[in-house]
Amino acid sequence: MRIAIGTYTATSAAGIGLAAMWESLSARRTGLRRNDIDGCDLDTWIGRVDGVEDVSLPSQLTHLQSRNNQLAWLGLQQDGMLESLTRLKDQIGAERIGVIMGTSTSSIGRTEEAYTQLLPSGFMSEAFRQPQVHNLHSPGHFVAEATGLAGPSMTVSTACSSSAKVFASASRWINHGLVDAVLVGGIDSLCMSILYGFNSLELVSANMCRPFDRRRDGINIGEGAGYAILAREDLLPDARFRLLGYGESADAYHMSHPHPEGKGAVMAMGQALERAGLSPDDIDYVNLHGTASQANDRIEAQALAQTFTGHTQASSTKAWAGHALGAAGILEAVTTLEAMTHGMMPGTLNCDEPEPDSAYAVLTDNVERPIRHAMSNSFGFGGNNAALVFGQAHD
Amino acid sequence: MTEFDVAGVGVWSEHFSSWEQFCSVLAGDVSPEPCALKPETIPANERRRAPLSVKMAVEVMDQACRSAGLEPAGLATVFASVYGDIQITDYMCRTLASAPRAVSPTKFHNSVHNASTGYWSMATQAHGPANAISAYSCSASMALLEGAVQAVEEGIPVLVAMQEMASLTAFKPIYDTEQALSTALVLVPPGSCASAFATVRLATSGDSHDYPDLPATADIDWSDNFAAKMLPFLQVLATPGESRLHMPLSAHSSMSLDVTVHGAAEQARA
Repeated sequence: MRIAIGTYTATSAAGIGLAAMWESLSARRTGLRRNDIDGCDLDTWIGRVDGVEDVSLPSQLTHLQSRNNQLAWLGLQQDGMLESLTRLKDQIGAERIGVIMGTSTSSIGRTEEAYTQLLPSGFMSEAFRQPQVHNLHSPGHFVAEATGLAGPSMTVSTACSSSAKVFASASRWINHGLVDAVLVGGIDSLCMSILYGFNSLELVSANMCRPFDRRRDGINIGEGAGYAILAREDLLPDARFRLLGYGESADAYHMSHPHPEGKGAVMAMGQALERAGLSPDDIDYVNLHGTASQANDRIEAQALAQTFTGHTQASSTKAWAGHALGAAGILEAVTTLEAMTHGMMPGTLNCDEPEPDSAYAVLTDNVERPIRHAMSNSFGFGGNNAALVFGQAHD
Repeated sequence: MTEFDVAGVGVWSEHFSSWEQFCSVLAGDVSPEPCALKPETIPANERRRAPLSVKMAVEVMDQACRSAGLEPAGLATVFASVYGDIQITDYMCRTLASAPRAVSPTKFHNSVHNASTGYWSMATQAHGPANAISAYSCSASMALLEGAVQAVEEGIPVLVAMQEMASLTAFKPIYDTEQALSTALVLVPPGSCASAFATVRLATSGDSHDYPDLPATADIDWSDNFAAKMLPFLQVLATPGESRLHMPLSAHSSMSLDVTVHGAAEQARA
């Protein structure tokens, strides 16, 4: 499979747009902050994107108002994404471009707000009667409307692997000739369901998250929006990167705990390598799921040790922006592409005392080194796993 | 053009709990007793924790695999729903509005849209790709399209489930139905499965089409239930011979499905 990657962008607490994100990564400066969300009293750190609540939706989209869609719109403004889409529409037609967005919680924040203002009848009040917002497809619908893309549009929601799996579905659509290009992406925004939900599972840290550190004690919730244009190779002759492979698997073990031997993770990474036609040592860098939960980091290291030989460098970038759940896949795919662009592997931030019993040593400092091939891992609740392999286009 | 076969089918509502009963309803008969839901694929201890949405999905996924005569572990899954588990959404939003620290951890992890494929994979040891999607009013169309493209591109059988639960009070101004409905299909690459009973040729176009009229299912009023948009396709699968139907992909695009039914679906339950 050879799928070209065109314009891509990311917006998270690590930065709005690629330049700001890369500056944070280079300077090893976190975007995490102490929880300051109105109405949430949890003692934790969060990855909040500045100014989301002040984003104005264009007048034709105001009926889709939600924090998630405000974040989606902010993300679409960055790095020339809308301009690139306009050019591609002119080139091949809007109906030949599909939309596949990933999300964990869609616009649930808006639904939460609606429930604080229910009418005596128990109905949602008038202002919240937004049928295209209070459902799982809110991000896909919003992005299709906002961009004018007219091909098939779908939202993938498989918890924290959502916006990695969008690459797999888009590859199939393009290879099958269903469309010629797909705008893939993911959007998840801070909301009470996620903050209190992860708190109920005792997975939220009161500290800044410390992936793969021996003192790690949980995750920080983040938010983000990211996008990438995928297309047939001949449509994007100037593309710098290709999607070479993907792997999708299920742990078939537990709803919220990863398989103890990392079975699903190993399967996903193995499939991605096989599709790419690469051997493990061909992969220079892996951007890990690396949430800083006790279980994920221990088991992901075991899965790496079963897949790679030690030649491959690996790190987690969760301590820059937190865990953006359904948007994590696209944010970290974009981080991986930027690492390939700059020839720099970002070392795991906040991993000051690496776990001594870790089955695979992760990178802790930024290292300048060319990256030919890279992988990005995303694992989610329900035991849902995805791994992506990227390569330089002119290799 | 996408060509695929249909090898298995499953369906559940309070009015029918098997393909055979569904065909009877199409013929005008309605079961006098509400149909219970107790999918035996889920081990008893897991079944207690499994929410209604998961039981609805696993019931029909199991029916469809039995009907196709395929081991569930070998199938990829595509689960589709617009509202997912609306009962858990309602619970979460109510709890967050009153006592947020009281959120149940089990309800929280069951709130993910892929809960059904998660429980299904655990119950059947299916380690293959498991997807959970939504496309609002086009969800039934996109579930079929995504499943068909995956089956053909990957050369594997794909279990496609589409369901919607009954609405709850807060949602009724925007989504109103008293009926729950779950459906499942096993889609396979053409000529790859002995139990295939129908062949489908799917083509997309820029023509605008709404869903076909729903089949007459006695007095059952599906109202806004988006899973009912799958029923015209199921009706075609119950009709020997050749049929054509259209399903929308957006306000400005659609897909045509030319269906040849050359056999009858095996009964899911002996």
